[in-house]
Amino acid sequence: MSSAVIFPAQPEQILKGLGKLWTSLGQEEKQQGKPTVLRACAMTLIVATDEPDGGFSASQTIAELMREHPSRGIVLAVSPEAEHELEARVLAQCWKPFGKAQQICCEQIEITARPDSWPNVGPTLVGLIAADLPVIFWCRHKTALDTSATEDQKAGLQAVIRLANKVVIDTQGLPAAAALQMLSALRAKGRTVADLEWTRLTKWRQPIAQIFDNPARQTPYSQFRAIEIAHTGDQLPSCAAYAGAWFSAPYKANVSFVKVDGYGPGLHRIALRAKSEEIVFERTGSDCMRLYSTNGQQRSYTYEERMDTGLMTEELAILGSDPAFETAFARAVELLHDQD
Amino acid sequence: MSVLVQAPPEVNPLQDPLRFERRVPPCAIVIFGASGDLSKRKLLPSLYRLFYERRISPDFAVIGSSRTPMSDDQFRERMKESVSKFLEEAPFDEDVWKSFAQCLFYVPGDLNVPSSYDDIRSKLAEVEKSHRTADNVLFYLSTQPSHYAEAILELGAHQLNTGKGWRRVIIEKPFGHDLQSARKLNDEIHKVFDESAIYRIDHYLGKETVQNILAFRFGNGIFEPLWNRRYVDHIQITAAESIGVEGRGGYYQEAGALRDMIQNHLSQVMATVMMEPPTVFDATNVRDERAKLLRAVRVMKHEDVPKYAVAGQYGPALVGGQQVPGFRQEPSVDPDSQTETYAAVTFFIDNWRWAGTPVYIRTGKRMPKRVTDIAIQFKAPPLGLFQQETKTGLREVRPNLLVLRIQPEEGISLRFLSKSPGSGMRLRPVSMDFNYGSSFGERSPTAYETLLLDAMIGDPTLYTRQDMVEASWQIVQPILDVWANSKFYFPNYPAGSWGPKAADDMLAQQGHVWRIP
Repeated sequence: MSSAVIFPAQPEQILKGLGKLWTSLGQEEKQQGKPTVLRACAMTLIVATDEPDGGFSASQTIAELMREHPSRGIVLAVSPEAEHELEARVLAQCWKPFGKAQQICCEQIEITARPDSWPNVGPTLVGLIAADLPVIFWCRHKTALDTSATEDQKAGLQAVIRLANKVVIDTQGLPAAAALQMLSALRAKGRTVADLEWTRLTKWRQPIAQIFDNPARQTPYSQFRAIEIAHTGDQLPSCAAYAGAWFSAPYKANVSFVKVDGYGPGLHRIALRAKSEEIVFERTGSDCMRLYSTNGQQRSYTYEERMDTGLMTEELAILGSDPAFETAFARAVELLHDQD
Repeated sequence: MSVLVQAPPEVNPLQDPLRFERRVPPCAIVIFGASGDLSKRKLLPSLYRLFYERRISPDFAVIGSSRTPMSDDQFRERMKESVSKFLEEAPFDEDVWKSFAQCLFYVPGDLNVPSSYDDIRSKLAEVEKSHRTADNVLFYLSTQPSHYAEAILELGAHQLNTGKGWRRVIIEKPFGHDLQSARKLNDEIHKVFDESAIYRIDHYLGKETVQNILAFRFGNGIFEPLWNRRYVDHIQITAAESIGVEGRGGYYQEAGALRDMIQNHLSQVMATVMMEPPTVFDATNVRDERAKLLRAVRVMKHEDVPKYAVAGQYGPALVGGQQVPGFRQEPSVDPDSQTETYAAVTFFIDNWRWAGTPVYIRTGKRMPKRVTDIAIQFKAPPLGLFQQETKTGLREVRPNLLVLRIQPEEGISLRFLSKSPGSGMRLRPVSMDFNYGSSFGERSPTAYETLLLDAMIGDPTLYTRQDMVEASWQIVQPILDVWANSKFYFPNYPAGSWGPKAADDMLAQQGHVWRIP
């Protein structure tokens, strides 16, 4: 990773900084007389964060993501200690595939705003978007997403959302009702919205779905009329609401949510019940899961808490609409409404 | 009169194709030759990897069969050793293995003994109940090619070719040893299996980068208009190996480079690069176009073979400071062997798109490095305004070269001329590179993973069809005939070189030179 100095975040200066960066990387090529650096970019990935590390962990995640989703990464952080109202630095995230001579490099821009300058980041970003490529906005700025956000925080957030084709948020830890409300507000702006709590469910949904790939199985899915979702924590988490919604959506099965002292956080067990069969997928330890059916089938799985990099890798592979999530979201809204 | 209408099976409403892997139906895989090298090195490691990644149905079983007497547990133990040893770019997980091992079974038996097939039928019935395989069965013939016809006829005689579920059979190469034997084998197999159930495997077609040729050509609009005789000067396909026959001297002596590589792998690659766009991307249309291309390859007259085909055999040499034996010094090889370890052929495609554009294919063992690529050499601009700066001075060249690299650095590069910085209009070639592995950091599935999954799903796009196999034998048959009656003065190239001088002369007569990949 090469880095440059911090300077006021003027788009032209940032672009000039990027130009210089690539020229310096090219010098190495000239010296060695062979291609040593490959520049890669498939999208603009904007990450806004209010984490106290000033965007360090967001930068790290972008560096890991670039292996599968090379992008122009832009990290937006907020710090009252910033030297300038808006300041920037540019750097290249490079990695060398095992056994290869050439490095793969993606450019990264880090912009730090003083809290009162946060609304100005949007106009700065307009000139920094990589041309003709999708723009993904991953919002880790929890304060700006919160209903108690200030007008400035909201305005700053809206300015970035306007630039994005897809907005990714993570409602982990939020009660389902608040999470769905937040998503509804973002969807109302006409943007494709993704929730990493839904992404976490893939590892639960896929093994269960595979069971019903067998057309010869005796109990078809339409006969599973009761779905029970067990979760940890006092309040219903959004992942539990999504799970109940997804599994009940096809035939409008009954859904019940139960709170348990299981392995958490979040989902602990999914049970599908028909008259003649019960299928249960549950966590049986901190690192294991078991899928079994009362018809005698059983399979064990390793449970791993999915890191942001893995979740975003999955999410960045879907740039258009996600019909499964749309279905689950709509049904989750119905379920919560019924619960009220 | 009442009419009974059977309800169609319920479509799985829980599928999410954007996030889940492709749907793979439940099935049992019967591997004949299960104690052989292919099973140990490729098939079981690929199946384990698919299981590890949850890409195959949980309702799944493997029944291995060979002459070696073994229990299920002994088979599992042996396969565990092989899988942990030959698993490529993936960790071996003890817990996952335990689950996987529960799906492995073994039936000892001899392909010549009819009762072996009864034992397999009993085991299939057993796993259908215990593993819910829905009576779908995929047979994999990983045996000596001479047993293919016999094994398939026995499957038919024991009615293992039909059932409540589907039946498919995968057949390894070589599919025949010449055109006549390939036709005969096809006839025998068709007595038992319909063509739609026959999956002739050519693992080159399963390679990610070979599949990417289709994406590159037909997913982009800018290359296809140039993809013809008007703009392409010639095409070179190279498949070089740095190693020798590595203990396969006996087999290789019977096969030779032409049969081992050009008749199957490289002719299929040529067809993929040069075929017409299919109207729909499905198995039938893609394979129709590949077959059409192969049928359009000009079949050489016997008297033209010396002009358009070159055979070579490596001799001993000092490579990288080490003395390397020649082919004739390899174990199990006849010291006077006439088998070619190198073959280079010029093909012409007699169709509207490619008429007059030569395609040069070369393959060999003990070459300077391991590389497989396809180079599309575009014609020079009609007027040479600029001269290119080279090590030996200034000269005009054909600047635009598109290279599709299959291995080891999978990717695509386009070479074009650019002005050198500074005063004066001096040009030098630069390369625009797309590196497959590094641009998509995720691990690519191996060819066998891809092809096994396709067979389970019932997608034969990447498998060869009867007409493709016969067409590819047809184009090499005159060369085989002439070479069989020729006396070669082998060895004619030293190990560690790019082949015999005659191969350079073959291109020189068309005004071309081999690239150094």
